[in-house]
Amino acid sequence: MDELFKGFARAHAEQNGYLLAATLSPISPPENPQRLRSILKSSNSSRIKGDIKHLIKSNSSHQRGLDHEEIKGWVEVYAAYWNAVGDIVAGEDGKSTWTKVYESWKELTSILIRGYNNFGFEAWTIPCLYMIGKYLRLFAIKSDAERSRNLGDNSGGASLMQDDFDPETEKQGQLRDCEQHLKRIFTLCLNDRAPLEESRKWGIYFIINLLFKTYFKLNSASLSRTILKTLSAYRGDMPPLSAFPKSQRVTFKFYEGVLFFLEENYVEAEKHLVEAWELCNKDALPNLERILTYLIPCRLLTTHVLPTKALLEPFPRLQKLFLPLAQCIRSGDLRAFDLALQEGEDEFVKRRIYLTLERGRDIALRNLLRKVFIAGGFDELKEGETTPVRRTRVPVAEFRAAICMGSGGELVDTDEVECLIANMIYKDLMKGYIARERGIVVLSKKGAFPGTGV
Amino acid sequence: MSGWPTTQHPPGVVSQHAPPPAYGYPPNPAFIPVQVRQGFSPYGAPPPPPYNPYASSPAQSQASTPGTTTNASPSAPVEQPKGAKTEWPESVRRYVQRSFHPENDDASVSRAELEAKLKDTIGSAKENNSLYTIDWDNMPLPQALVRADREALLKLRYTSLTTPIYADDSFNPRKRKSNDFPNNDASVPPWHSTNSGRSLEDRISYSPDKRVALDDSKFQKEANKRKRRFENEYKAANVASSSPTPPSSGPIVGTSETLEKKYLRLTAPPIPSNVRPERVLRQTLDLLKKKWRKESNYSYICDQFKSMRQDLTVQRIKNEFTVSVYEIHARIALEKGDIGEYNQCQTQLRSLYAMGLKGNPIEFKAYRILYFIHTANRTGLNDTLADLTAAEKEEKPIKHALDVRSALALGNYHKFFQLYLDTPNMGAYLLDMFVARERLAALCNICKGYKPDVKLRFITEELGFESDADAAQFIIDYQGQHLLEDRTEYIAFLTGKANNLFENSRASAFRKVDIKGQI
Repeated sequence: MDELFKGFARAHAEQNGYLLAATLSPISPPENPQRLRSILKSSNSSRIKGDIKHLIKSNSSHQRGLDHEEIKGWVEVYAAYWNAVGDIVAGEDGKSTWTKVYESWKELTSILIRGYNNFGFEAWTIPCLYMIGKYLRLFAIKSDAERSRNLGDNSGGASLMQDDFDPETEKQGQLRDCEQHLKRIFTLCLNDRAPLEESRKWGIYFIINLLFKTYFKLNSASLSRTILKTLSAYRGDMPPLSAFPKSQRVTFKFYEGVLFFLEENYVEAEKHLVEAWELCNKDALPNLERILTYLIPCRLLTTHVLPTKALLEPFPRLQKLFLPLAQCIRSGDLRAFDLALQEGEDEFVKRRIYLTLERGRDIALRNLLRKVFIAGGFDELKEGETTPVRRTRVPVAEFRAAICMGSGGELVDTDEVECLIANMIYKDLMKGYIARERGIVVLSKKGAFPGTGV
Repeated sequence: MSGWPTTQHPPGVVSQHAPPPAYGYPPNPAFIPVQVRQGFSPYGAPPPPPYNPYASSPAQSQASTPGTTTNASPSAPVEQPKGAKTEWPESVRRYVQRSFHPENDDASVSRAELEAKLKDTIGSAKENNSLYTIDWDNMPLPQALVRADREALLKLRYTSLTTPIYADDSFNPRKRKSNDFPNNDASVPPWHSTNSGRSLEDRISYSPDKRVALDDSKFQKEANKRKRRFENEYKAANVASSSPTPPSSGPIVGTSETLEKKYLRLTAPPIPSNVRPERVLRQTLDLLKKKWRKESNYSYICDQFKSMRQDLTVQRIKNEFTVSVYEIHARIALEKGDIGEYNQCQTQLRSLYAMGLKGNPIEFKAYRILYFIHTANRTGLNDTLADLTAAEKEEKPIKHALDVRSALALGNYHKFFQLYLDTPNMGAYLLDMFVARERLAALCNICKGYKPDVKLRFITEELGFESDADAAQFIIDYQGQHLLEDRTEYIAFLTGKANNLFENSRASAFRKVDIKGQI
């Protein structure tokens, strides 16, 4: 315990927020695996507040004085921390539950927030909020998992007044609850009116990222939009994103990109994901892999670009995920594409990219039809023409033959072939029109397949 | 959860005045009927529920509350259409203001009680068309009415010490009704015979005759009377038992023997005497199925199903019976196009199936896919795909739904409309909800892809219209009459001249579907 408050005093002397946050860690550091236990043992519940007060005063006495109010606030915080540590240690001994840990950690969160609102905690201490928020979320997830394991003991009184069961609450009730508290921290940072250099606004992106993670886990990613909207309303007096630590920027850009991705706005998604890609530490392979998981399908739809082997070199998992599909798209093999998509379906669905990758079939089809066009060769030169012109009137039957072959010999009727071609034209993957009565497709003389050189 | 709009009204009343709107269907008549929709009658008024199981009794009149003078004229004819927005008279507004004025606060009357009473008072005044006749300025405040109710109940409780209210069968004819209920095969529980091995036709009842002539006001009177009885009983049960037993936190065990119960949203922990145990609910389900087949009164049925679901929930009953309640309600809601209620049921079904309970998961997982296509919910679709096992994906209804999904995702309208014409189970009700928008999308495609024209017959066949006339009507409905040209042998559709005619309609048709919109 003495150790803890030496750290506390040092952090205050240096105004080092991260050092201060470390004193509130719910995990013993590797060099001192007994830290939590010794903290717990060094006091008891009747003495704790007095002990803390004494330790804060004795350790910080020779330094710039913490004012009285602040000390009061920190005593409350560390008393709540000591309580939570009690539950964590009991949990390690199998005498407590994650739900209890979550509850006491939540109490600590509330008291810490109160410290900022009522006891004048300074802005340099915000890493404490990061520490508390980060573990609040983790404990909530553990508590939910634990509760769903022992189904039945989660009979909250609230659900008894409902008309139907709410399966989501039952599964993720704690995480939902946690979201409320993270949002309080968000507001706490957002609404600080102090001048920028000593503002809690500097905590905003850390908290936003925590909220994003929470929303994605809750399967309601779209709620992140509300946060972004609130943020943009405050844009004027917010420090620019570029002034924040890189790690926070990468995470933020990644989630912003994925959010656009899920909303099918692939152009915007690509922008943000590329930013994240460029900011990301090149050694952080797992993070790079996460970014590519969404950036590759994005690129496929926006610019029809497929990943190269070199790009995927360091990512064996992504190779397995994307290379077979990319190969089929290149060669215009519809049947193989369908099989590859089916093969990877579980993985794709898990990563929420299935519905996007599926649309890669359009590109495969485009490549197939393009082959037919090229195989058609050139029209005979007319008088006065010097450069050969490709044959632009292609019988539907030729496309049909190609599609039947591409579909592994399955018979596709002419109407369906026309429908597929009409789609190509509608999506601007092909320029021209179908003359149904004559059974031909009339393609544009200039750029029948835009962006592909023919 | 959004409130169910009909809860304030007596069952049956709403359907009388406001025929269930054809929810989700475009007002134009351009879609073709598919087989399963034979019985679908969005515009026909359902027949009235002819039952009137509540004979008045002395105990009943005793229970009616003194002070609620507004209830005193039950026979007042009601002409006002239900759907119409009410203009509240100035005197009523003043009354409401007075009710909430701080100086009239009564510590013994909670805000919720006050609001409920106020709503009830004004609501019944409106019902009776006495909004303008009541002297609102001298009307006792809701606080006073609540206190009066309590006194009356207290008196009633004393009398009930000697004669238990519900012991007498004649008081509660509903009970008897359930005994009258024919139960031919007592060895087989009725719910077992519902789903297993019976065709869809058997499971869905169709309204026998939509044009039953009916004296509106007479029906209305009956309904009003019934409503008041319901309310009084509910209050009696509610208040009487709430004071002596403090609400416990665990799941309760119901003791009510009443088969039917009007749905009321819970604002306080449920009272066991007002909740039916599973044994009774099973009889209720049977009764409701019979009624639905016979009367097809959706607002009544929906209300009853909601109260059943509530009873199941508060007692934490999650078993195969629960599944069948939700399945049946989901099917009925689908048939009536009540997409909001349907969605609530399917959400429950999803987690019930996930618990391993038996039912018809294949059928409903297929609906779920179609539903998410309708609401353009990609997250939902993705989750649904994640839920499916390899074996399930091969089951016909699910495979059909998945094929529909992928056909639409790839813009393959040709395949989509072939699938549309061959939809298993009740999936066609869901498909019908978005077929118009898919037709618009296909038209956009065709107009850009074909030049100079195509035969109208081609549109008819490609977009699954029943006849050329239907196809032409659809085009005309979207201002495309100038694109149709009569050429002695056939009618041509001038795709080359359409430009972006259908693009706007397409875009607005694809805007997100609001699932909260309920009948």
